[in-house]
Amino acid sequence: MRLFVALANTLRLYLTCIRNTLEAAMCLQNFPCQEVERHNKPEVELKTSPELLLNPVLICRNEAEKCLIETSINSIRISMKVKQADELENILAKKFLRFLSMRAEAFQVLRRKPVQGYDISFLITNYHCEDMHKHKLIDFIVQFMEDIDKEISELKLSVNTRGRLVATEFLKQFI
Amino acid sequence: MWAPVVGVPNGPVRSADEWCTSSSVFRFASKFQPFPPPSPPSTSASASASATAAPRRSPPPPPAMAAAAIHQFAECITCHAWSPDHSMIAFCPNNNEVHIYKFFTDKWEKLHVLSKHDQIVSGIDWSRSSNKIVTVSHDRNSYVWTQEGHDWVPTLVILKLNRAALCVQWSPKENKFAVGSGAKSVCICYYEQDNNWWISKVVRKKHESSVTSVAWHPNNILLATTSTDGKCRVLSTFIKGVDTRGSHASTSTDWKFGEQIAQLDLSSMWAFGVRWSPSGKTLAYAGHNSMIYFIDDVETSPAAQNLALRDLPLRDILFLSERTVIGVGFDCNPMIFSADETGLWSFVRYLDERKVTTSTSRASQLSEAFGKLYGQSKQVASSDTVEPSKPRGGVHENCITCIVPLRKGNDSIVKRFSTSGLDGKIVVWDAENHIDIKK
Repeated sequence: MRLFVALANTLRLYLTCIRNTLEAAMCLQNFPCQEVERHNKPEVELKTSPELLLNPVLICRNEAEKCLIETSINSIRISMKVKQADELENILAKKFLRFLSMRAEAFQVLRRKPVQGYDISFLITNYHCEDMHKHKLIDFIVQFMEDIDKEISELKLSVNTRGRLVATEFLKQFI
Repeated sequence: MWAPVVGVPNGPVRSADEWCTSSSVFRFASKFQPFPPPSPPSTSASASASATAAPRRSPPPPPAMAAAAIHQFAECITCHAWSPDHSMIAFCPNNNEVHIYKFFTDKWEKLHVLSKHDQIVSGIDWSRSSNKIVTVSHDRNSYVWTQEGHDWVPTLVILKLNRAALCVQWSPKENKFAVGSGAKSVCICYYEQDNNWWISKVVRKKHESSVTSVAWHPNNILLATTSTDGKCRVLSTFIKGVDTRGSHASTSTDWKFGEQIAQLDLSSMWAFGVRWSPSGKTLAYAGHNSMIYFIDDVETSPAAQNLALRDLPLRDILFLSERTVIGVGFDCNPMIFSADETGLWSFVRYLDERKVTTSTSRASQLSEAFGKLYGQSKQVASSDTVEPSKPRGGVHENCITCIVPLRKGNDSIVKRFSTSGLDGKIVVWDAENHIDIKK
């Protein structure tokens, strides 16, 4: 019980830290490209003008769980690595996040491909900040991070239960 | 709670040592003024019953609303400008058009749509005496609009830019205007009578990044610019045939066009929203590291003051008088700054008082304290989730990008001003009865 409380607490701290960093980092504005005429691109993806980028922030809960926040003048990229304790969790996370990434346009802020070394990435531009409330956007990201762990452990449980059921059914014929 | 958590610097994310050194000033005497501690809430009744008996030390709370009028014109507004008599407003609803509304007895009506640009309009300025509108856009062009009869007639100004134009301002005499651009240059445009044509002269190779804001000195010659390379520059824009040598102070007789008078390297981050005080004695600009800078006597012996903010960075600022400044930005709430008799600037308060529910925060603090007292608490166990963040601001719900004075006659003190932001609202603020404007 004590351990559980401590764990829950560290998750809370981790998410609060991410929330506060996002709050500070998500100060975006419309900014046309300095390199290409008549273009307007997220600078965090192009990285052509170093003066338009801020220092990236890496927030780690432990080795397996971390969150990288890269900021530029008109866009912010949030990449995260979710906990994968064993092979089953690994494959579940991979499949589940792939499922989400393939439906990226439904989420608007989800990036189709995660940044290398991370499981899933979000790209928020100034246009998202114009259309949506900033605090709702931050809530969405934090909620997503909170739910993804829950989702994967639930999936793991149901896979295990199903496996056990199948095994029982299969082994019944040998009795 | 809107107060940021201690330990997380609000504003852009930088490494710790950069954060600390951002206040260092090269060459200039710096009077570092830290952010004042938050004033205690004026109503502390819930905890102590004897509060009513105690003498009231805190100043009386300001009148409820400083916002005189709030208009929701569009989804999102990039910039706006007022007609000389303040009966009409021109704004860009975050697209390639400029809408002009006029106030008829009880409501605003759309009169004109100026659609000549083909990309987002980034700057509008409406000249006060000649009644001309200048617009600049990300499509690299600028138009000067003059009213002929009922219609607005555009004149194309070839800026000779190969990147987006970002900001524009008429000079005080309205014979020139300055355009800041993403081509790392500034254009000074002036009208040539002989050819009936606006000419653009470009100041190149002075800026290392996009020019985010321009401001004219009252002498019609000096131009201050801020750039995303973090520097604020003061340039001379003397144009032969347009300006006369005798028209400005004797110290400035030798300045050539495009000559750099000063370069202020105070901010380690992108700089925005440069403005001169009404007399041109003080220059102020904001940095994206949540700082605001005030520089006195830029041309002769600059003395700088840095003021670190506790909240999110500013985007634009406005001098109400020589010693009162309003800053607007990502915090969605205008901030008031003022200078005391010795010229020391400090943050006063937010213009739009936030509704901080002191009772609830007090209760949560109390229960937290009880939780600590009894070792375990239901609060710690129950809240493994993070409570949702509260929206910022009051009247504005998103970043405020533009602040425009509503001057009356030749009054040097601005008593009314308007702000517009990404939430599509234009708010007119009445400063006279709500702010102590120091002359």
